[in-house]
Amino acid sequence: MATDTGQSNQQNTGIGEDRPLKRGPLSKWVSSSIQNPERAYRAMFYVATVFFLFTTLFPFYWLLVLALTPQNLLTNVGLVPNGFNPMSFVTVFERVPFHIYMFNSLVLGIMTTVIVLLLASLAGYVFGRLRFPGKAPMMLAILAISYFPPAAFLIPLFELFTGNVAVPLLGTSLVFGEQLYLNSPDLFNTPWAMVLPFSALFMPLSIFILTTFYGQIPDGLEDAARIEGTTRLGALFRVIIPLSAPGVATAGVLTFISVYNEFFFSFLMNNGEAQNWAPLVGGIIGLQGQFDTPYHLMAAASIIGVLPVAILVIVAQEKIVSGLTAGALKE
Amino acid sequence: MATEQESQGAIRDSSRSGPYVTAVRWMENLSETAFAYFLLAPALLLLLVIAIYPLVTTFGMSLFADAISGSASLGEFVGIQNYVELLTNQKSYALPAPFLPTSLTVGGIVSSALGVTLIFTIVSVFFETIIGFAQALVLDQDFRGRRWIRVAIIIPWAVPIVIQGMIFFLLFQPGIGFLVGTSQNPSLLNQLGIIGTTPLVNTIDSLLIITVADVWKTTAFMALLILAGMQSIDRSLYDVARVSGASPWQQFKLITFPLILPTIMVAMLFRTIAAMRVYGIIETTTGCQTVPSLSCLVVSSFSSRTYGTAATVAFVTAAIIGVVVSIYIVKFADAEGGF
Repeated sequence: MATDTGQSNQQNTGIGEDRPLKRGPLSKWVSSSIQNPERAYRAMFYVATVFFLFTTLFPFYWLLVLALTPQNLLTNVGLVPNGFNPMSFVTVFERVPFHIYMFNSLVLGIMTTVIVLLLASLAGYVFGRLRFPGKAPMMLAILAISYFPPAAFLIPLFELFTGNVAVPLLGTSLVFGEQLYLNSPDLFNTPWAMVLPFSALFMPLSIFILTTFYGQIPDGLEDAARIEGTTRLGALFRVIIPLSAPGVATAGVLTFISVYNEFFFSFLMNNGEAQNWAPLVGGIIGLQGQFDTPYHLMAAASIIGVLPVAILVIVAQEKIVSGLTAGALKE
Repeated sequence: MATEQESQGAIRDSSRSGPYVTAVRWMENLSETAFAYFLLAPALLLLLVIAIYPLVTTFGMSLFADAISGSASLGEFVGIQNYVELLTNQKSYALPAPFLPTSLTVGGIVSSALGVTLIFTIVSVFFETIIGFAQALVLDQDFRGRRWIRVAIIIPWAVPIVIQGMIFFLLFQPGIGFLVGTSQNPSLLNQLGIIGTTPLVNTIDSLLIITVADVWKTTAFMALLILAGMQSIDRSLYDVARVSGASPWQQFKLITFPLILPTIMVAMLFRTIAAMRVYGIIETTTGCQTVPSLSCLVVSSFSSRTYGTAATVAFVTAAIIGVVVSIYIVKFADAEGGF
C-alpha cells in the first residue's frame, strides 16, 4: 500500500494543483480516485505488478542469499546473507564437473531442437499446405500422444535403450535354418537415450506451431518457385521455411527450453555421471555429498543453471509469446 | 550448389540418370497423398518407435504378473488381475503407497496416490488460473518497461524443474531459512499453523509446498496463454463499449471475459494434463515417500523391478488423464456452443 499511495501522490502534485483545500494524503487520494476512477485502477495495477514481481523474483533472491552465505553460517539465514562468500560459485565447479553437465544440457537441447525442427517442418508443411485423406485423424493422434504421461513410456524405452529388446529378423529361419535376432543398440548413457524421447515428446507442439505458420504463406509464392524449376522439397526449404523464419525460431526456442527444463528422462535415462551425458539434473543432484548437504553450493549451482534460459527468455520473449499463441490456441 | 544445378538439369533433361536424379524424379511424380505420407514418414516413424511401441508394450506388460525370480523380467500371464487388484486397493504389497484412499479422512486421502494427485491437480490448476489471469491483465496494459516486467513474470516458467525443486527445498529446509523455525523458536509460518517445523517429511505440508512450487513456476505459462487470447480480441469492441459508456468493469465482464473463456479452458486443459503427471518437483523437493503421486508409483515400482505393477499403474494413469481430457473437451464444446 505504501508504494501505491506514494505514486499517486506524485501524480497529484503534478495534476491536482487547482485544489487548495488542506487534506491528509490518504483522504486526498480517496477523493481524487472517486472523481477519477482511472486513477484507482492505475493504483490497483501498480500494487498487482509489484506483488507479482516480488513473488516471482523472491525465490531467485533467496538463492543468491544462500549462495553468498559461508557454509558455517548457514543457520537461520535472514533476508540478507550472513557474510559474503562469492567463492561458492567457483567451488561448485571444483566439487562436480558442473561445466560438463551444463555442456551436456546444451548439447541435448541443440540436438533435440535440430531433429524436432527438421521433422516438424516436414510434418507442418504436410498439415499446413497439403490436402490428403486421413489428415484430421492423424493430427488428433499426434496430439493424443502428448497426453500420455512419460511414465507410460518409461519401461519399454528403458529396455529398448539398454539393448534388451530383440527384434526377430524375418526370413532368417528359412535361410540359415535358425531364427536370428537383432538386438536393440545399447543407448543408455549416450545422448540418444534422452534425445529420442525428448524429440517424440516435444515434436507435437512444434508441429502445431509450424502448421499454423506454413499454412499462412500464400500459395502463389510456392507456385512461382515451382514454375522456376524448384523441386517440391526445394520449395519448402528455399521459400516456405525462410518466409516462416519467426515461426521456426519460436518452435526452436520453445523446444530448447522444454528440453533444458525436462526432468523425467534426464533423471532416469543415464547414471548421473557427467561423462555419461547426464545433464543439469545430474549435476545439481550430484552436489549432495555422502556426508554433508552443501546448501550454499546447491544455491550457487541453481543460479548458474538458470542463466542460459534466463538469457534466452530475455532475448526471445516476444517469440515465446507468439509461439504459444500460434501453437496452443490452434487446437 | 552442384546439387541445385543437377536438380534443374533433371527437369530439363529427363534422360539423365543417377541416384539423386532418380530420387528427385520419383518424388516429383508422387501423388499429393503419397507425397504427404512420404514427408510425414520420419515424424511418424519416430512416434511409432518412441511413443506407440512403448504404449503397446506397457499395456502388454500390465497383463503379466511381477517376476518372482531375479532373472526374468515378468511373471506369468494374469490377464486383468493387476488392474483388478490395483483398483480394489489390493496391490499395496508391491507399491510404496496405496492407490485409492484407504479411509475418507484427510490423512487417508493424501497418503494415497490417486487422492494426492487429484488434490494437487485441482488446487494447483485453480490457483494458476486465477493468478495467471491477474498476471495477464497486468501484462496486457501498455506501460513503460513492460518488456522487463514481462521477462520477470515469464522467467519462473523457464526454470528447469530440478532448480525449481532446489529452490523450494532450500526455502523450506528446517534450520537454514527464516520460513521454517524450530519448536523453541517457531517462524511466522509455524506460529500461524500453516506448516510444521519439519514440513518436507510431513505429507500435508509437503503437498502444500509442492503446490506452491508448481503455482510459482507454471502460472506464467497460464498467463502467457491468456495474454495471447486477450491480445487477439478486436480492439474496436472496446472503443464501441467506451462510446456507449461502459465502465472498465463492464468492459471486462461483457467483452474480455466471455471472449477469452475458450482460451482459459484450453490453458486449463494443458495444465491439468501436466499436473496429473507431476513427478520431478516431488522427487527433488520432498521425495516420493512423502507425496506419492501416480508417476511416483510408476517410477518406484519400476525401480524395484515389479514391472507388471509399474506398467499397470502407468496405464491407469494414462487412462485417468484420458478421462479428464474428455471431460474438458465435452465442457469446452458446451462453452463454445453457448455463445
